[in-house]
Amino acid sequence: MSTRRSLKTLKNNENPSANKNTQITHSVCVNTITENLEKNLTSIKKILPAEDILTYSFETADNTACAIVYADGMVNKQLLGDLIARPLSKLDLRPENQQKTKNEGGRVASNSKKSDKNNSLSLQYLIEKIEKTALFPELKQKTKLQDIVKEILDGNSLLLVDGAPVGFIVGAKFIPVRAVIEPPTDVAIKGPREGFIEDIKTNMALLRKRLKTPDLRFDSVKIGKRSDTLVSVCYLSGTCDETVKEEVKKKLQDIQIDCIPDSSYIATLLAPRKHSIFQNFGTTEKPDILAAKLSEGRIGILVDGSPIVLTAPFLLTENLQSSEDYFVSPFMATIFRLLRFISVLIAVFLPAFYVSAQLFKMQLLPLGLTLTIASSVRELPLSPSLEMFLVLLLLEVLKEASIRMPKYVGMSLSVVGALVLGETAVSAGFLSTPAIIIVAFSGICLYTIPNFVETGSILRWLFLLIAGSVGPFGIVLLAAFFLYYMITSDAFGAPILAPFSPLVTHDLRDTVIKSGIRELSQRPQLMRSKNKTRLRLSYDGEKTSDPKQDQTPEN
Amino acid sequence: MKTALSTPLPRNERVHGRQIAFAAAFLLPISKFLEVPSLLAQYAAGDLLVPALLHFLLQSLVLAALLYAATRSETPLIERLHNALGKWTIAVYIFFGIYFLYAAVIPLLDLDKFVYAAFFDTEPTFFSFGLFFLLSAFICTKGLKAVGRSADLCLFLFVIPFLALIVMSLWETDFSHLLPLFGTKFGDTMSAFTYTTPQFSDAVLLLPLISCSSVDKKDAKKIMTGYWIGALCVLTFLAVFFGTYSSLAPREHYAFAKIAQYFPALAVVGRIDLIFIYLLTVVLLFYTCLPLQYATDLFARTLKTNRRTWIAAALSLLGFLFFLFANHFYNSLYAFIAGIPLIFWLIADLIPLLCLLLPANDKKNKPSSSPNSSNANVPFKRKKENDYA
Repeated sequence: MSTRRSLKTLKNNENPSANKNTQITHSVCVNTITENLEKNLTSIKKILPAEDILTYSFETADNTACAIVYADGMVNKQLLGDLIARPLSKLDLRPENQQKTKNEGGRVASNSKKSDKNNSLSLQYLIEKIEKTALFPELKQKTKLQDIVKEILDGNSLLLVDGAPVGFIVGAKFIPVRAVIEPPTDVAIKGPREGFIEDIKTNMALLRKRLKTPDLRFDSVKIGKRSDTLVSVCYLSGTCDETVKEEVKKKLQDIQIDCIPDSSYIATLLAPRKHSIFQNFGTTEKPDILAAKLSEGRIGILVDGSPIVLTAPFLLTENLQSSEDYFVSPFMATIFRLLRFISVLIAVFLPAFYVSAQLFKMQLLPLGLTLTIASSVRELPLSPSLEMFLVLLLLEVLKEASIRMPKYVGMSLSVVGALVLGETAVSAGFLSTPAIIIVAFSGICLYTIPNFVETGSILRWLFLLIAGSVGPFGIVLLAAFFLYYMITSDAFGAPILAPFSPLVTHDLRDTVIKSGIRELSQRPQLMRSKNKTRLRLSYDGEKTSDPKQDQTPEN
Repeated sequence: MKTALSTPLPRNERVHGRQIAFAAAFLLPISKFLEVPSLLAQYAAGDLLVPALLHFLLQSLVLAALLYAATRSETPLIERLHNALGKWTIAVYIFFGIYFLYAAVIPLLDLDKFVYAAFFDTEPTFFSFGLFFLLSAFICTKGLKAVGRSADLCLFLFVIPFLALIVMSLWETDFSHLLPLFGTKFGDTMSAFTYTTPQFSDAVLLLPLISCSSVDKKDAKKIMTGYWIGALCVLTFLAVFFGTYSSLAPREHYAFAKIAQYFPALAVVGRIDLIFIYLLTVVLLFYTCLPLQYATDLFARTLKTNRRTWIAAALSLLGFLFFLFANHFYNSLYAFIAGIPLIFWLIADLIPLLCLLLPANDKKNKPSSSPNSSNANVPFKRKKENDYA
């Protein structure tokens, strides 16, 4: 609260027509760094009264007072001590010749111009001396208090020297970050295993490592009045669709929010379809996937504090793709994708069809299975839809609990959930075995596409509800509704169901069926990239593209 | 307010030639799989392909005329109509809006009975079908561009299930039942032709799509080919249908839902053919909404608004209420509409030919007059690159 008040005061100070009260404050809290160290420290402490903002005071060899202001836990103290405090404490900032010049200047020079010149010379000497002593790669000067406060809060340190009307920002940031490990949501048996972490700079470096081209650009903006979160739009210049990039950047600049804890906030705030249950953005935790998507002509949005990077435009078929598909043979990749596609259909529709088969259309099941089910459900007290509803609810509760529960309790949860609840519910005659098998199978199938779990889960509930009330016709009606919704939903210039609708035959090569790398020599047409070619093989004599089509020299 | 008349063709309503061709090939044939085969078999018996073929020839002529009219100029038909008639275009909109509502009745009746035959073992409540009108209300809020995209989707939703069903049906099909050719009296064949006119008069269903697009000769060829692919699908189905049911065919209403059930493997795995039928039902739902969608679009143009939601809701509610009443008079209503084929011949086949009279006032590179279009100064010309509509 007080920080905000102080910042407000600072803002008011910039206004020449500030009121009397503000002017009083001005005497204590200035908006630029002065030559007086004590005054500067008071001003900073006024703006940053928090306990974790520490000040380390020391003196140089000639007893000039110095201070380092930093946020505790965010700086490398050893580095500050070794490269800043120790060398400066041995430094004599006022050598005799300078002292002499100054003294002579004070005695002899009667005109103010000469005095000013000497003063500026002295100041320049002081700054140069400090910069030479502190051999720090990231050292910059700041005079505005507002900027300095931002730097301190960002994890940098402020070096103040008595007599110097500038603050030296020392980039000794050392924010605790976790190691670059394989992301749990996107595990690959073959292929790179690095994953993004919460630190945006590390994520940028991971991406830069894979795309060593000057075309890789990061356009950053800070969002969040309180969090001041760095959000960076990354793209390959000349490859991405400029319209999409500009649309995203414009929308980002329009965001006025207190805090951005995760990239999902950005996804929600930028979403063109606000109430859609389908994704508006692709997400990835792996730099190799992001690099591939940028190469296709997409743009990425990195958010500081989030390991999940957003990509746009997003197509639903992206969910079928896995990084591993590109490291195995196209035949295997096609089989995997078909498997995922069928699995997701089973996950969404199987419980619904099971219920509607029991209630409305027994012919959907083979006769033998019908008899088995009939014998299982004969003495059940619940209707098929209510039974399925309960089993599905049980699955969702178990899933939710197993994510939140500590690891050690997780084992007992599995025992209680799977054995006690499942087994005894069947023995007691509350639930039937087929219902449990169907829900378990559906649950497993849904996890073949991790990015579709949330949407798939909602769809499964909706289809179950309509199947219990209207039967298979309800399922078909709802499916038609969602299909029509998807074909008319465009996000960032791309329809979600493309390349199936609208049909883009060229882009069908990397959907359910995965073509070989030679067939994917052109970038997806849906991405509207100016630079169309991404592969040209001259050694096998195949002409893969018309070079005239490419507007940039680098392909 | 955004005016429809001042913006005869917003740029975002453009439909691709390919999409019209797909609509002709994969969206229109579905209506002929329901009651049509038994009706044709009832009058024409083994010659049921003849009246169907006559219908297709007639409709091809209408379609060819429409395409000729459209290809005469780069300016879309609807803009030319607007230029020719001015304020009186509203009359055309209202006339065709009402016609499309009328034309929607038979597909709705067909869908209703088909749903009860294919989806339920027992008689469901009326409200089970009533939910369809919620879907239609939603679909009607979408413009013609959505029709184009749904046609694209129908390529996948139609081709795979149709082929699967035909392959499964061939198991019990004996094509010799179709012999001798021309064994039925000419009068009976013509009766079959007459009574199935409502279902076959569908060239007019492509008119709104054609009139909103800048159709060139290449597109025209595609559309005509698409129409004949659809026709071929229907003729194949009719042949398989009569080959399977033979003399029982006239009594096999909505046989489409059960034609593949004799496939031997189904005894082991269950009625997996129903999965294909359900997929085709999605296409059928899109088709049934099509006239309502056109009517909504035309009424929106008449009322000079781009907000279709209320019109879509009103038309769907009207449809629901009508059905609440018509459900009890299904046979009479069906017979009444099918008994006056003249309306279809006149409105669906003859009146659209007046498009040929529209002057080909080709104003090449003329800037669009659309004030609400994002590309107001872009000429209405088909963008070749990255134009996937």
